[in-house]
Amino acid sequence: MSEKRNKGESMVIEDSWTARYAYPVGQVAGKFMEGLKQKKILATRCSKSGMTYLPPRAYCERSFEKCDGWVEASLEGVLEVATIVSAGFEGSPKPPYAVAYVRLDGVDTAIAGYVRGLDLSDLEAGMQRLRAGTRVRVEFVDEPKGRVTDYYFVPA
Amino acid sequence: MEQGVAVIGTGQTVFRSVDREWTYAEQAQAAAKEALDDAGLTPDDIEAVVFSLAPTAFMGIAEADRWALDYVWGNGKPTMRVHTGGATGGSAVHAGYSLIRSGIFRTVLLVGADRMAETPDAQYFLNQVWDRFYEKDLSIQTIVAGAFLGQQYMHLYGATEEDFARVVVRQRGNALNNPHAHLKGKITIDEVMGSARLSYPLKLYDCCPRSSGGAAMILGNLDMAKQCSGRPAFIKGLGAVSNTVFLGDRIVSPAHPDLIGPMLEHQVAANRAYERAGITDPSREIQVAEIYDPFSTMVHPALEMMGFCGKGLAAKLEKEGAWESGGMVYVNPSGGTLCTNPISVTGLVRNIEAARQVMGRAEAMQAPNVKHALATAVGGSGQFVNVTVYGEDYL
Amino acid sequence: MSMDVYVIGLALHPPAKRIIDKRLEEMVYETTRAALDDAGVSRGELDSVVLASSDEFDGRSISSMLLAMPAGAYLKDEIKVADDGAMGLCLSAARIRSGDFHLGVVASWCKSSKTDVEGFMRQKCDPFFTRPLGLNSTVTDALFAQAITERWGIELREVNERVVAAYQRASRNPRGMNHPVPTQSEVSDSPYESTPLRQAHRAPMTDGAVSLVMASGAWVDRHRDCRPMARLAGVGWATDGYQLGRERLSGMHSARIAWNMAMEQAGLASAAEADVVEIESQTGFHEAAYVRAFGLDDHPGLSPSGGPFAQNPYFCSGLINMAEAVLQVSGRAGRVQHERARRGVGHGCHGFAQQGNIVAVFESVEG
Repeated sequence: MSEKRNKGESMVIEDSWTARYAYPVGQVAGKFMEGLKQKKILATRCSKSGMTYLPPRAYCERSFEKCDGWVEASLEGVLEVATIVSAGFEGSPKPPYAVAYVRLDGVDTAIAGYVRGLDLSDLEAGMQRLRAGTRVRVEFVDEPKGRVTDYYFVPA
Repeated sequence: MEQGVAVIGTGQTVFRSVDREWTYAEQAQAAAKEALDDAGLTPDDIEAVVFSLAPTAFMGIAEADRWALDYVWGNGKPTMRVHTGGATGGSAVHAGYSLIRSGIFRTVLLVGADRMAETPDAQYFLNQVWDRFYEKDLSIQTIVAGAFLGQQYMHLYGATEEDFARVVVRQRGNALNNPHAHLKGKITIDEVMGSARLSYPLKLYDCCPRSSGGAAMILGNLDMAKQCSGRPAFIKGLGAVSNTVFLGDRIVSPAHPDLIGPMLEHQVAANRAYERAGITDPSREIQVAEIYDPFSTMVHPALEMMGFCGKGLAAKLEKEGAWESGGMVYVNPSGGTLCTNPISVTGLVRNIEAARQVMGRAEAMQAPNVKHALATAVGGSGQFVNVTVYGEDYL
Repeated sequence: MSMDVYVIGLALHPPAKRIIDKRLEEMVYETTRAALDDAGVSRGELDSVVLASSDEFDGRSISSMLLAMPAGAYLKDEIKVADDGAMGLCLSAARIRSGDFHLGVVASWCKSSKTDVEGFMRQKCDPFFTRPLGLNSTVTDALFAQAITERWGIELREVNERVVAAYQRASRNPRGMNHPVPTQSEVSDSPYESTPLRQAHRAPMTDGAVSLVMASGAWVDRHRDCRPMARLAGVGWATDGYQLGRERLSGMHSARIAWNMAMEQAGLASAAEADVVEIESQTGFHEAAYVRAFGLDDHPGLSPSGGPFAQNPYFCSGLINMAEAVLQVSGRAGRVQHERARRGVGHGCHGFAQQGNIVAVFESVEG
């Protein structure tokens, strides 16, 4: 039976836990990452449902068939939603920075990325430029390494 | 076989940031004990246990339910642990419902606790839930996802940050009537607007706290419901739906109609629950809604998707007092998740608060003439949604 | 309306010590898709998806965020349990028996190779009393082995023989790893991990996945072209206390409770009435203990698949045992098929030193 102990100094035991993991990339993500190194964004397609997916999937969630084609996404598209992050979070870049979901032309789903090339000091003005429907372009870093930070969006 | 399922007892601890005086196992025990007393039962009356336990990284004890098992008198009983992220507490209710409807058990104890601030690294763990390859590098995390939702709603219907702030003001005020709530108080729209910006349009006060505490609910079959004193609440209908983790699939324009809409999942899950419960006009038939809302931006879309009002109208109705006590539907009389969020049991707390309204035991939060009350729980990237409708009778 | 529960299809992922060419999502999709194909149903017809997985094994918090869709859950009523793969079958069975669900998938998976298993096991310890002692699965299995040895006077020779025999059975299992069969002295000479447990006493962990398709009697009645593989005649589960001690370790309480619950539902008086019994024997000591607890002395159908010694994706080994039992009673077990197997039992255990036990009894379906 538990009883509340008197308030006051309560003993605390400290511990920490670091777990190590090795995540196999798999074929689909692997091909996507290789595509990034070539400054391409590759999406998968399911011929049964007609859906084209970014991030690429190995199988189609709707038809439940394996995706049977690859499509090179256009490097232009429409911004679906964005936010400007003002608060610092552990493991995140120094604020302010903008993150958006963009539907690249030719693809049915939106993929996320940082948005650069914008003055973020005035939040309202910044958000105006990041309204849904804004056209954006994809740009790549000079030496892509096969991570999603190899590319980012800029206003078109 | 028609087998009604009733809530015959509930228990909660007082939620706060940090609990130094007791451990996870003791919090779960306290909640279980209160539920047993509430139901007038002893531990021997409980035939099965469902643990409501989401990621344990915050508490730092893997599979902490195994440790707490003895504390909740589960030794030697059939026990299982349900884990659907933030939706866990509601999923636990649904699992318990199936266990009783199967005819195998006459009573089930749903129990759990959480201690969100046991580690200062909680945000680090929340960041771990995103796809390692496609999303984690981009710092997509729960607050940013809540921000995207707000943005979408603002774009679709012209809602403003003040509209979201109004939700916070109403619910923090409601929480003053809730002895268990973590955050409570009279605040103003200006205070919400002036709180620290996190991710546009979310500010600090638009977001839930990290809470510590325990909760429990006892479900019984019809015979047990008849034996227990006091009015039980019957689970009249429930529905749940899961969607893809990828936000980018769920916010796009109508290339494929099944993809779109902020919080579309609430519509699907609620319709499943309404069909089972025989509800055809939610705003007339349901008097109380306990909505899972770690972010203020979630309340209005949820109400609309669940049919309490037309699309884009919830914020206007907020201004007219529709969601307050005495309005159209009393929304989050407990303060909701915005005021209290011990993730493993938050969904259970939503269900407890809804059930107690029907049981007539909501005390200062009690709405009059409650025929039905609804509870929701949400998990993952907003992709797991369950809805439960409680009523005075079953069938 | 019939409250019967049937298994109408299943699939097991080919096991491997380490599956590196596929992401977990891809493994889960392929296995679930294969189970649906085996059952002859499409994903669209499902009304239930029950997942059974462990975040810690998957290396992600809330791993079902990414893994629900590959298991067929898109816009379905999906729920996840986290105790053990076999627990997924328990909840799925309850859902179907309730009459609220009629066609469901149960999916479980485990990439044991992916993660620091003992690190995670140690994290299961309460931080105050047991973690400082470094309890993990090796140490607790050793304590279990010691306790049952003392309680029943089990000789090491029996344990070693059981291990060799399990590997022999496993070597004939087309769905297994085909591990080399050790000799008795190889087993008895292998180094100690924690007394009395030696390395070779333990079933090696592997990567794998399993999915089953379950249906209600009403659904089966409406789909006359479906030939169910098995009827779930009984299911039972129970969990022991957390604190280890002599009685907890050797009393086999939750094992017996789970067994009795399942057998009573199935209307069976003893193990002799089951043709095969697939036990989750993580070590040779486990087998010795379960044989005594369940009354399986000289049982001709003891773990024909080889159990974990055939494949051991740790979290789902119990559900794999259940799949093997279903294969037996449906005549699809291949080289390890027992003649005229009409009743098969699948068992799983989970937690430190078999804290929890789950038992399912399957019957073959006539016609």
